[in-house]
Amino acid sequence: MHDILLAVQQAGELKDGLSSIGAGIAYGAAAIGPGIGIGIVVGNAITAMARQPEMSGPIRTTMFLGIAFTEALALFGFVLFFLAKG
Amino acid sequence: MLLAAFQFPHIDELFRWEGLFFGDTAYEINKTSLLVLISSVMILLIFVGGSRRMRLIPTKLQSILEMTFEFIDHGITRDVVGKDAGRFTPFLGSLFLFILFLNFWEIVPFIQFPPTARFAIPLYLAIQTYLIYWYLGFRHNGYRYLTGHLFPAGVPKALYILVTPIELVQIVIVRPFSLAVRLLANMMAGHILLTALALLTTYALENAPIIAIGPFLLNVGVTGFEVLVGFLQAYIFTLLTAVYIADSIHPDH
Amino acid sequence: MNVVFAALLASENLNDGVKASNPILPETHEIVWSVVAFVLVFAVLAWKAWPAISKSLSDREAKIRADLDAAEGARVEAESSLETYKQQLADARGDAGRIIDEARQAADDVRRELIARAEADSADLRTRAQEDIRQATERAMVDLQARLADLSIELAQRIVERNLDRDTQIALIESYINEVASTQK
Repeated sequence: MHDILLAVQQAGELKDGLSSIGAGIAYGAAAIGPGIGIGIVVGNAITAMARQPEMSGPIRTTMFLGIAFTEALALFGFVLFFLAKG
Repeated sequence: MLLAAFQFPHIDELFRWEGLFFGDTAYEINKTSLLVLISSVMILLIFVGGSRRMRLIPTKLQSILEMTFEFIDHGITRDVVGKDAGRFTPFLGSLFLFILFLNFWEIVPFIQFPPTARFAIPLYLAIQTYLIYWYLGFRHNGYRYLTGHLFPAGVPKALYILVTPIELVQIVIVRPFSLAVRLLANMMAGHILLTALALLTTYALENAPIIAIGPFLLNVGVTGFEVLVGFLQAYIFTLLTAVYIADSIHPDH
Repeated sequence: MNVVFAALLASENLNDGVKASNPILPETHEIVWSVVAFVLVFAVLAWKAWPAISKSLSDREAKIRADLDAAEGARVEAESSLETYKQQLADARGDAGRIIDEARQAADDVRRELIARAEADSADLRTRAQEDIRQATERAMVDLQARLADLSIELAQRIVERNLDRDTQIALIESYINEVASTQK
């Protein structure tokens, strides 16, 4: 009985720890895809700018849009991190 | 391990502020709201004061105002929304300046807290954008605004089963939510990073002064980076608002 | 296993008392004040600042365009007047050449006239001199003939006085005539 009480006392910490781990994994996983995606977006934008420097302005605008859309996924993960942890 | 004893404060200490005036009412003013109000007063002072007497040969302040206007008017309104969309410049310009000034509180010494890292502000701005583009979409295109999005032309009929729900979720939930969350999360992450580095530097100074140089230099670098992020997020929020407005006015593109 | 389940169940109860504080949930008063602030910024900027800045930019654009047009007009005008000046300069140069030619012509004429007059004068002089010489010669001839006649008469008187023979007379006359003829030459 004493053991169980001790376990119950520590259970809150256990839950906190588990949810922290889960939140951490969720954020880490959410960051993988956008990381690769942003790399592809920026890389291709640079290739396009190098090929046609006179189109740099529109390409840059479109690149930021692409980054913004891709990055959103990582940011959902970031927010999820706080929601899961809280 | 020396640094093992380092205890990061609870996240609430970074983002929750005590009410300063009118505590516990709907008009409570805490640090966030105070900064928001100060920012808007600053914007008004600079822009209304600076544009009161416009000269043919511009002063420095006037040049800055004109460059800001051109940046919004050419770079965002005319390039994205359309050549004849000059009427959106006041809204987009105010939006850009509002977010920009709020973001820059992140790196102002002794303040160092971006009000945009509180969900209230990005959420309000995103909902505002959401309402505006729905209104414009229906006003310019009627119900075809919705059908055009839900049943895009050139897609095989069978695929509508797949496309329509995705598009519905996209325009009803994902757009405003991602708009708000992008700004919030960027500023929040920047604030957490800067706070963590600053606390780490202090802690290292107290316990092992030699290694304090590491987090300190990193802090300086990240602060510079946050200037860029603050500008970029203001720009992207405005740009996306413009893109959504353009999509509502001319849904074919 | 049971212990873990029990612990999780119990933890629910333990956490019930603590208010779930989530740092990303919006707070009403912050929304209120951001609405107030943004609407204020938008309204005042749209009322005062943006139209003024836009007007200033378009004014400057109009001014620059007008200036450029004026400059273009001035350039065209300058080009046309340059053309006129060039034309006038060419005319003046032609005039000058003509005047110089005329002057040269006049000078030539004057020179030629002077020379002609000088030549005529000298020719006149020469003819008069020749005339003088001829008259002098004639006069001399006349004198000479008169003298010759006198001499002949004198000679004849002398011959007659001395009664010379015929042969001597003839020889004498011939020699005398020869003498005179040679003199006359």
